[in-house]
Amino acid sequence: MIITKAKEKEAVLDSLKEIRSVFLLGCSECASLCGTGSPEAVAEMKAALEEAGKKVNGTFIPKTGCQVLGTKLELKPFKEAIDASDAILVMSCGAGTQAMVEVFKDKKVYPANDTSFLGNMTRYQQFDERCSMCGECIIDKTGGICPVTTCPKGILNGPCGGTNNGMCEVSPDIECAWAKIYARMERTGELEKMKEIIPPKDYSKKLSPKVYIVDRKKEEKESK
Amino acid sequence: MKKFKEALESGEFTITAECGPPKGTDIAEMLGHAEHLLGKIHAINVTDNQSAVVRIGSIAVSKLLLDMGHDPIYQLTCRDRNRLAIQSDLMGAHILGIRNVLCMTGDHVTAGDHKTAKAVYDLESVQLLQTVASLNAGKDLAGNEMKGATNLFQGAVVTPEANPFEPQMMKFEKKVRAGANFFQTQAIYDMEHFERFMDRAGKFNVKILAGILLLKNAGMANFLNKFVPGITVPDSLIDRLKAAGKEGALDCGMDIAAEQVRMIKEKGLCAGVHVMAIGLESKVPDILARAGM
Repeated sequence: MIITKAKEKEAVLDSLKEIRSVFLLGCSECASLCGTGSPEAVAEMKAALEEAGKKVNGTFIPKTGCQVLGTKLELKPFKEAIDASDAILVMSCGAGTQAMVEVFKDKKVYPANDTSFLGNMTRYQQFDERCSMCGECIIDKTGGICPVTTCPKGILNGPCGGTNNGMCEVSPDIECAWAKIYARMERTGELEKMKEIIPPKDYSKKLSPKVYIVDRKKEEKESK
Repeated sequence: MKKFKEALESGEFTITAECGPPKGTDIAEMLGHAEHLLGKIHAINVTDNQSAVVRIGSIAVSKLLLDMGHDPIYQLTCRDRNRLAIQSDLMGAHILGIRNVLCMTGDHVTAGDHKTAKAVYDLESVQLLQTVASLNAGKDLAGNEMKGATNLFQGAVVTPEANPFEPQMMKFEKKVRAGANFFQTQAIYDMEHFERFMDRAGKFNVKILAGILLLKNAGMANFLNKFVPGITVPDSLIDRLKAAGKEGALDCGMDIAAEQVRMIKEKGLCAGVHVMAIGLESKVPDILARAGM
């Protein structure tokens, strides 16, 4: 899921300096699990905004904030409240916020969160980064553990000199990705494979902005 | 004195030292240190924004040392440059007459003095070695023909005390296959460990220079043990430094370094030594003299 962190309240209020009234949006997907766009977080933000003298014309938590057409449809009943607001404050990820930018052409839209990474929920509200969406998965060669993401240097061919009793020199809280990869490939009997030199990554796969359109005609043909 | 590559290839016990370019344009002190080493060493390493701290570039300083009469080993990391910049720098180094390059991934920017910088790591050490091999063969990384190849003698680093050790060894082998001709090791202090490392590493057709880092006092030794991954100073050496007292500690550290150099040479453990004195380069000739070089 997409991990978001709530901006400091002061920073949000600073971005709303010129704004008197807002419509507040959360998201029931990732941002709810992160506690940054959940019903509780939205209620708390509403109270904070009102305390700061802002008028909150309405709040809503769409099903999937980044799903542009669906969210647009869900927001139809709120047209009046949104029209009457100076701005929409979005408590989701950057994608959800920009979905609102796309739907409301002439309305100011501001983010309440910082979007951080694609995360695995490893415990309740603990998120760990395992994949950085490089567009070219190589973990078949690295024991299922991604060095692009879990090594701070993204080294593809083994540990650097900073490996420190199995931990990383960058932070004592980070395990050395290559110590983990080696240990796992030893367990799975794949150490021979680890000897292969992995070539430089193809960063053209990571070129932004990306568009991906599923080839529906192909799917239809295949189903026939 | 033979040039670095010739010395290694002739089997002569090869000695390198290191100089760190300063931050800022006043290089008188650094050049003074380098002058002390003229005629005493086969080559001098020039660090590349060492510890991710901004300093003068290693190519520029390598060129100055070349003009002084040194054979420089230009250090190149992958932290600050993408594959385009790396290749143009390598060609640039060649046309300036620099002939040795040490290929490293590089300390992370979080270790340095520009912690908010974007770390590049488009390539890493193994791929950097492959890049040099490719430029030496007259082709760039994309396979395009070059007008004139580079002629760079490429080396890499290895940490004999790395923990865990096996993944480090596997990477060492990859570096050999990627074209490394020589290795300069991270600082070693425990000679038994180093002999064990050489039992493994010595089987490969590469030249290894043992890293000798001058201990200035017991505090430095403790600092290395606590904060520098891959360096282990045995208690026996720390005790010796302590016993030497404040006045005698540096002298004792020089003795320790000299003993290491002598032992490595006498036992024929490896091709040579890389002596790091971090700002005390003027002491290196004395260390070498005490070692009987």
